[in-house]
Amino acid sequence: MSTDAVEQVVADEATSPESIATAAPTPVLQLQDFCVDYGVGARAVRAVDRVNLRVDRSKVLGVAGESGSGKSTLVYGFTRLLRAPAVISGGSALFTAGPSREDSGEELIDLVGADEATLRRLRWTQISVVLQSALNALNPVVRVGTLFDAVYRAHRSDMSRAERRARSVELLSLVGLNEDRLQRFPHELSGGQRQRIMIALALALDPSLVIMDEPTTALDVVTQREILNKLAELRARFGFAMIFITHDLSLLVELADEIVVMYAGRLVERARARDLYESPRHPYTLGLLNSFPPMHGARHELTGIPGSPPDLSQLPSGCAFQPRCPYAMDRCAREQPPLAPLDEAGRYVACWLHVAGEHATVPVELRRAAPSSRDGGSGA
Amino acid sequence: MRLILHRLGLYAITAWVAITVNFLLPRLMPGNPIQTMIGKLQSNVTPAEVRSIQLSFGGSLHSGLVHQYVTYLDQMVHGNLGVSITLSSPVSTILRGAVPWTVGLIGISTVLSFFIGTIAGALLGWTRGSRLDALIPTATFFQAVPYFFLGTVMLMIFGSELHWFPQLGAYSLNVSPSWTWAFVASALRYGELPMISIVLSSIAGWILGMRNMMITMVAEDFVLMSVAMGLPRRRVIWTAARNAILPSIANLSLAIGLVVSGALLVELVFNYPGVGDLLLNAVENEDYPLIQGIFLVITLAVLAANFIADMVYFALDPRTRTEAQS
Repeated sequence: MSTDAVEQVVADEATSPESIATAAPTPVLQLQDFCVDYGVGARAVRAVDRVNLRVDRSKVLGVAGESGSGKSTLVYGFTRLLRAPAVISGGSALFTAGPSREDSGEELIDLVGADEATLRRLRWTQISVVLQSALNALNPVVRVGTLFDAVYRAHRSDMSRAERRARSVELLSLVGLNEDRLQRFPHELSGGQRQRIMIALALALDPSLVIMDEPTTALDVVTQREILNKLAELRARFGFAMIFITHDLSLLVELADEIVVMYAGRLVERARARDLYESPRHPYTLGLLNSFPPMHGARHELTGIPGSPPDLSQLPSGCAFQPRCPYAMDRCAREQPPLAPLDEAGRYVACWLHVAGEHATVPVELRRAAPSSRDGGSGA
Repeated sequence: MRLILHRLGLYAITAWVAITVNFLLPRLMPGNPIQTMIGKLQSNVTPAEVRSIQLSFGGSLHSGLVHQYVTYLDQMVHGNLGVSITLSSPVSTILRGAVPWTVGLIGISTVLSFFIGTIAGALLGWTRGSRLDALIPTATFFQAVPYFFLGTVMLMIFGSELHWFPQLGAYSLNVSPSWTWAFVASALRYGELPMISIVLSSIAGWILGMRNMMITMVAEDFVLMSVAMGLPRRRVIWTAARNAILPSIANLSLAIGLVVSGALLVELVFNYPGVGDLLLNAVENEDYPLIQGIFLVITLAVLAANFIADMVYFALDPRTRTEAQS
């Protein structure tokens, strides 16, 4: 993978909430106790519960979890794209607006409190989004070129017609498409081409953060692979940070620097990609890993996770995963485990199994040695 | 272009079928319509009128059906639709007098209703759940009230009592039909109240249709995308409305096609000299040439409106273009 070049500069800073503000790499985005509810008042359902995370400049954060785990709600939450009845019910989302072309200097903005004008200024110039289904995400009655034009018109009104066209052609060539696609309507393109156009569109204004909401889920595996390679190449070239949402952990491990796993709206595990993949610490992460065939390596039987994700309006007591967890103990049903630091490698897990004194032995499959402690953390 | 020609061909065939049915229908009815007519006219029949009736149905009574049909088509192409029995003047002349009034009144009202209703619907759909939603029950109330009642009440209140609007007729008796400013102004003045009543009674459909489509569209990913892209609010609303309007356009074409047939109740209530009124009289008096002439005009109008709607649809929705080509 060509992400290796970027991964070499991975700094192993401990990213505990306290040290976030002073950590050396510049965070593009920091979420603190970020909460999203569906509905308000007594019947509100908490879809995202006190999420803390950070994305560093030029890094890739993977967000994994089953459908309904709150991963999409999380990103639509801090990008302020949620629609009623979803509301942000707490926390902050500090975004570092990078130096844009005209005005240099960074600017720290809390997206939660930002007004419409600020948001509109940040949108696409700083944060862009690629949605799962490119067919639904592209306006069906408008030519591809017009979509690009709409973006320039909204943010770069100084661009001339010729400049707009030149930029669109350049962007299309970046994703390996011919410029004649600009004249096409979305329905005249294949699924892979549409997703490439979405990616080109997302990069149109050189954003510092690109959010990918399951961009490859609707595609066949071959196209999926092409798109991922293209993404890695573009990232190496432009260095934008990325949040990549998927339920496919094996895909994330090749792409992401750090992965967070969500369950029932909470982060249950957070670790560097390789660590999480090779040595999961949370039973849910292990279950997710066992549900997908690995991209490389030996075959093993897929087991999956018994049961189905919980109803957020009727969460089980204690740990939300406890009814489905093969290692559940008494305490799991009584108390919710906090997301606590586990080791020096910046790994966090929310599970009582790993709390000292609680359990005599951590199950062997949840204490495999991490690759970083074996070979010095060289990543891939 | 090939697509348009293809469509045009389809419509030509449809028109031919409609004309043929129009020709055959009187002949399929029990009894002989021509004899019935002549019988009704009793002693007033002149040889010229008998001839005109025969001509209107395709010439001599004793010629074969095929010959009648050919004559009928030939006469029609030359604009000869026969002579009305009751009004004793050429059907084409009568239609020329009635159609503009109907098209003017009902057509303008329909288009007005469409525009106001669609814009209101788009805004209501966008601001769903706001106080503006209170408009909807009001609009549906006016559509639910039987038109003759609404029209009569409006005529009574705003015409007879308050004298805000002139009552009855299409223009003041002080002016005569011509393209003068005085006449046009008078026609517009007389058209106001019927027009308002039509818009009131038909607007709810446009509002609801557009609002519902708008709500559907607002939930679409591409609208979310246009928000995420930081487009100005007006562009975002336009993105949704541009897609939401497509079904309304289809409905408009149907409504426009039916404009020519007139709104019978409107024309009766306001004593308006339109096609609906004419058709009612023609049917009451078994005036076959006139009925046939009116049917022909209505058929052609519906076809023309559909054709235009097709073209508009092709222009507005690129997806229909490929489907039609394949």
